[in-house]
Amino acid sequence: MVFLSRIADLIDALASRHRLLPWLIAYVMLLPLPFIMSTFFNSYLIDLANRACLFILLAVGLNIVKGFCGQVTVGHIGLYAIGAVTSAVLSLEPGGFGGALGFGLPVWVSIPIAILVTAFAGLIVGLPSVRLEGAYLALATLGLGESVRIFIAVTPALGSSTGLMMIPAPSIGSFVFDSFTSYYYLVMTAALVGIYFSFSILRSATGRAFQAIREDTIAASVNGINVIKYKLLAFVLSAIYAGLAGALFAHMPPGYLHHNNFTVIEMVTLLLMVVLGGIGNVWGGVIGAIVVTIAYDQTKDLVVYFMDRPIVVQPLVFGLSMVLLVLFMPRGIGGWFEGVLRNRRFIKRSEEKLGGTARNSQS
Amino acid sequence: MKLMNKVFAGLVATGVGLATTAAFAGDIRVGITMRMVSENGQAYGQMVMDEIKAINDAGGINGNMIKATLMNDECKSDKGVANANKLIFQENIHLLIGSTCSSVSLPIVDVTAKAGVPQMIPHSTNAKITQKGSEWVFRIPVSGRYYGGVNAKYVGENIGSKIAYICAADAASVGDCANMEKQMRARFGVDPAYRADVQEKEVDFRSHMQKIKSMNVDGILVAALAETMARALIQSYEAGIGEDVRRIGSSSASNAPVPKIAGDAAKGVFFTAAYAAADNRPIAKLFNEMTRKRYGIHAPDHDFSQAYDLVRIMEIALNNADLQLEQWSLKQDRTAIRDAIASVEGYEGLASGPISFCAAPTPQCRDGNRTAVLIGYTKGGENFETEVLARVTMEPDFGLE
Repeated sequence: MVFLSRIADLIDALASRHRLLPWLIAYVMLLPLPFIMSTFFNSYLIDLANRACLFILLAVGLNIVKGFCGQVTVGHIGLYAIGAVTSAVLSLEPGGFGGALGFGLPVWVSIPIAILVTAFAGLIVGLPSVRLEGAYLALATLGLGESVRIFIAVTPALGSSTGLMMIPAPSIGSFVFDSFTSYYYLVMTAALVGIYFSFSILRSATGRAFQAIREDTIAASVNGINVIKYKLLAFVLSAIYAGLAGALFAHMPPGYLHHNNFTVIEMVTLLLMVVLGGIGNVWGGVIGAIVVTIAYDQTKDLVVYFMDRPIVVQPLVFGLSMVLLVLFMPRGIGGWFEGVLRNRRFIKRSEEKLGGTARNSQS
Repeated sequence: MKLMNKVFAGLVATGVGLATTAAFAGDIRVGITMRMVSENGQAYGQMVMDEIKAINDAGGINGNMIKATLMNDECKSDKGVANANKLIFQENIHLLIGSTCSSVSLPIVDVTAKAGVPQMIPHSTNAKITQKGSEWVFRIPVSGRYYGGVNAKYVGENIGSKIAYICAADAASVGDCANMEKQMRARFGVDPAYRADVQEKEVDFRSHMQKIKSMNVDGILVAALAETMARALIQSYEAGIGEDVRRIGSSSASNAPVPKIAGDAAKGVFFTAAYAAADNRPIAKLFNEMTRKRYGIHAPDHDFSQAYDLVRIMEIALNNADLQLEQWSLKQDRTAIRDAIASVEGYEGLASGPISFCAAPTPQCRDGNRTAVLIGYTKGGENFETEVLARVTMEPDFGLE
C-alpha cells in the first residue's frame, strides 16, 4: 500500500509541474511493452494487450454516461457495432470478395466519419433518457442496441450472416499496421488519449454537471444545469469512444466483422468491466477492462472431465469469480484502491498536522 | 495485509500463467477451436480428444505424442480469432483444427495463412472459406456449393420448381439458401416462389407458413440451425400445410435435435449431408455402435463423422510428414504437415465419398469431399430413422462459375 501511495504522490508531483507530464511518461513506459512481451514471453500477449486497449476505450467511454452521469444504458455495444461497421463499409473496396457494400475510402478518412456517425447515433440512443430513467431507460437502450445488431444481421450490404471480410488495415505510406506490434501502438495511443480526455471531462464544468445530474436530477436542474443538454452530451461523448473503439476493432487484423460480435453477452461483459473496475472511477474502467480481458483469456482452455465428458468451465469460473468480486468489492477494484489511497493520504496529513502542532507547542 | 498478499499472489499466478508456453520438443501440438456451447458441440470436442488419446495410447505418431489443446469459440469470430492467435503464438501449435462455424472459420483462414499454420476444417460449409486462396486450409466437410447443386437437382427433377424458401441468418444457412437459389435458377430457370429471411434463433414462423400455404407451393426449403429448423417444421404442419408439400432441410437437418424436437413433423424431410447413419457399410455400422456406446448418441450426424474423419486424415498426414519436432523446426514442421495433408488422396472413411486434397490453394483442391448424400427421415422423435435416397458426386469446378 505504501508503494501505491508513493506512486500516487509521484504522479501528483509530476502533474503539478505540467499536467501532461505523467501521461507522457506513461506513454514512454508503454512503448517498449511489445518488445518485452515478444522477447521474454510470447507475441500473443501483444494481441491480448491490443484487445485490452480496445476494451479500455469502450469501458472508459461507457463510464462517462453510466458512471459520471448516472444514466443506465445497455445499448453501448450497439454504438460499438455502428462504429465498426461504418468504418469497415467505408473502407472496403466496392465489389470486394465478401460481396458487401464498399466505398474504398482510405482508413484514415473512414475512422473519423465512423466516429461522427456513431456520435449522431449516440444522440439518438440518448433521446429516451430525456423522459426515462433507471430500468426503463435500460430497456429502451437495450432495444436500440439489439436492433442495430439485428439490422446488420439481416442486411447483406453490411455483411449479414457471412460477415464483413478483408477489411483493410490502416497504413501510412508503405507501412501497414497489420501486425500485433504495429497495431499495439495505434490502440495503446488511442486508449491513453481516451483515458486522458475522460479525466479532463471529469474535472471540467461539464464533468461536474454530469455528477450533479447523477446525484440528483431535480437539484441539478434547480441549480441551473440544463439536464437534457448534459444528458445528451454524455451519450454523445460516450458514443465517440464507442465509435473509435469500433473502428479500431474493424481494422484490426484479420479485418473481419460479424454481427455475433455485438450481442447482449458482449454488452454484459462490458458492463462487468465497468462495475468490476468501479463505476464513476476512470481508473476503474481501465482496471476492469484489463482484469476481465486477462481473466477471460486465462480461463478459455479450462476443460474438466465429468463422467468422461469434457465440460468447458470458463463461463462458470468467469461468472462466479466476477460475482464474488462484486460481492466483496461492491465499489469495484478501482473504488477499493481509491479508498485505500484516500485513507493513506488522510493518515499522512493527520500525522503532518499532529507533528506540526507538536513542534509549535515545543517552540 | 492478508488481502494484499492474496492480490499479489493472484497477480503473480496470472503472470506465470500468461508467460507459460507449452512448447515441448518431441510433442506434436494440435490446437482445436470449436463451438462448445451445445450438447453436440461438446460431444464433437470430446470425440476429437478421445480419438487423439487413442492414437497416443497406441504409441503416438512415429513415437511422438500428440498434445491437443481444446478451446471454446462460442461460434463467435472474435473469440475464434483470439483462440487461433493464442494457439499459434503462445502454444506454438503445429496444426489447427477449427472451427465448427463458418463465420469463425472465415477469419481464422486469414490468421493461419499469415502465420503459416495448416488448418483443418471439421464442419464449416461456407464456400468462401476455400475461395480465399490460402495454401494452408483444408476442408473435410462437403462445401455448400455442392450441397446446393444436389438439392436443386433432386428438387427440380422429383418435386417441382415452385419452392418457398425460409432462410435463417446464420452463415451456413444463408449460404445454403443462396446456393440452392442459384442452382434452381441455373438448371430450371425459376426464382423462389416465396422467400423469408429470418433471425438465427427465430421462434415464430406462423405468418410465413400461412402465406406459403396460400401459394400452393411444391416444397418448402428450411435452411436454419437445428432447433430453429425443428420449430419451423412443426409450425408448417400447424399452419395446415399438407404432407404433399415436401419439406427440404439444409445440411443441419442432419443434427439430432431436428428429428428429436420436430417429432412427427420430421418425417418426410430430406436433406443433403456428408454422412447417413442409415449407411450400410460395415465401417458406418461400427461407428454408429461406437458413438452409441461412448456418447449415448442414437444415430450420429455428419458432424460426428466429419470430426472422426478429420482425426483419421490428420493421423495419416502426421505419419507421412517428415517432422523434426524441435524448437527450431516449427516452421519446417508446419510446412511438412501442410504438404502431407495436401498429398492425401482417395481417403475412404465414413464420409459420403472419398476425400482428396492437392497442392494448389484452390477450392477444387481444398474442398476434399465432393460427394453429398441425400437423406430422408422416415421416422421422427427420440428413436428417429433415416434412409439414403441418393449419393451424388460433383465435379470439382461445380458452383464456382
